[in-house]
Amino acid sequence: MKASAGTYESSDCNITVQYNDTTLINVESIVFEQFGDQIKEVIIQTLTTHNLINVKVDCFDKGALDYTIKSRLETALKRGGYIE
Amino acid sequence: MSSRSYLFIPGNTPSMLQNLDVFDADTVIIDFEDSVVSFDKDAARILVRNFLEKFDFTTTEIYIRINDATSEFFTEDVASTKDLNITGYVLPKALPDHILKLNNLTDKLIIPIIETPMAVLRMEDIAKLPNISGLLLGAEDLTKDLNIRRTLEATEILYTRSKLVLVSSAYNIDSIDTPWVDKDNLDGLTEDTLNAKNLGFTSKCAIHPNHIEVINTAFTPNELEVLEAKRIVKKALESTKGAFSLDGKMVDLPIIEKAKKTIEKAKKYNLL
Repeated sequence: MKASAGTYESSDCNITVQYNDTTLINVESIVFEQFGDQIKEVIIQTLTTHNLINVKVDCFDKGALDYTIKSRLETALKRGGYIE
Repeated sequence: MSSRSYLFIPGNTPSMLQNLDVFDADTVIIDFEDSVVSFDKDAARILVRNFLEKFDFTTTEIYIRINDATSEFFTEDVASTKDLNITGYVLPKALPDHILKLNNLTDKLIIPIIETPMAVLRMEDIAKLPNISGLLLGAEDLTKDLNIRRTLEATEILYTRSKLVLVSSAYNIDSIDTPWVDKDNLDGLTEDTLNAKNLGFTSKCAIHPNHIEVINTAFTPNELEVLEAKRIVKKALESTKGAFSLDGKMVDLPIIEKAKKTIEKAKKYNLL
């Protein structure tokens, strides 16, 4: 099931998750050059913590810190029924 | 010792959360209630949880304003936060039964918001319950219930303010005045804050960071007050009598104790 969390406000991000054949992560960020890899790493780590592999994650980032990215992803995953 | 200022910040707004110690409030109240829409209550809980697990705050006390005890969000608000490093909870629309319900779920401190006519009537029953650290006046909701207008003169809430101060003082807990809602009117805020202080409030809450400096200043002893307090305490130490005269005024035990509290406050805020 497709589910989203977060906003497009400064220091936040909007994350959408849906089922996929493999793990697929798309990141659009105002600071992609400097932090794109770190954002992807936070997403991968969060998915790994929850033992998830068949999820597509779309992240639209407006300068969110790691805890915010992790939070919005966890909220979206919960809403989509991927985690408790 | 009482906090001077209590600042509400929205619990689902990362930019406010991660600046909470920059705003200079003595206590921050992270809000899960009015500032978080119903479909995002889950998002706020997860955000605040991850935030407080990541960052430690030693100079700022943190409370969470959960949703009221009759709401569908109440139980999960408490369950998801009770093991976090927070001082306690602010409980809206509080009545004695609601506080007992919260006390059954956690032993953290509680600040009930007095914002209904029934809460005003039952203030003492509320103050004497376990874990109560203060009473917070919610004048906007209260006056809405009474169908009356809030004014700068605040005569419409004078009785409630006075009662809250008396009850809080009797039970040795903080008395926290209602927030000033006109964001840009700092003159009005100053007058309202000084009125609260003169009525005996220990603290005032704020809904905007711009209001903190005015509130902190009002509730911090000024230079003259500190000087007078030091003179009183010095003379008390030197005197062999329970009461004495200083500058033509009688000084006895209550005044000496008040002077000691002023000095404690001055030390806390690095004025000595």
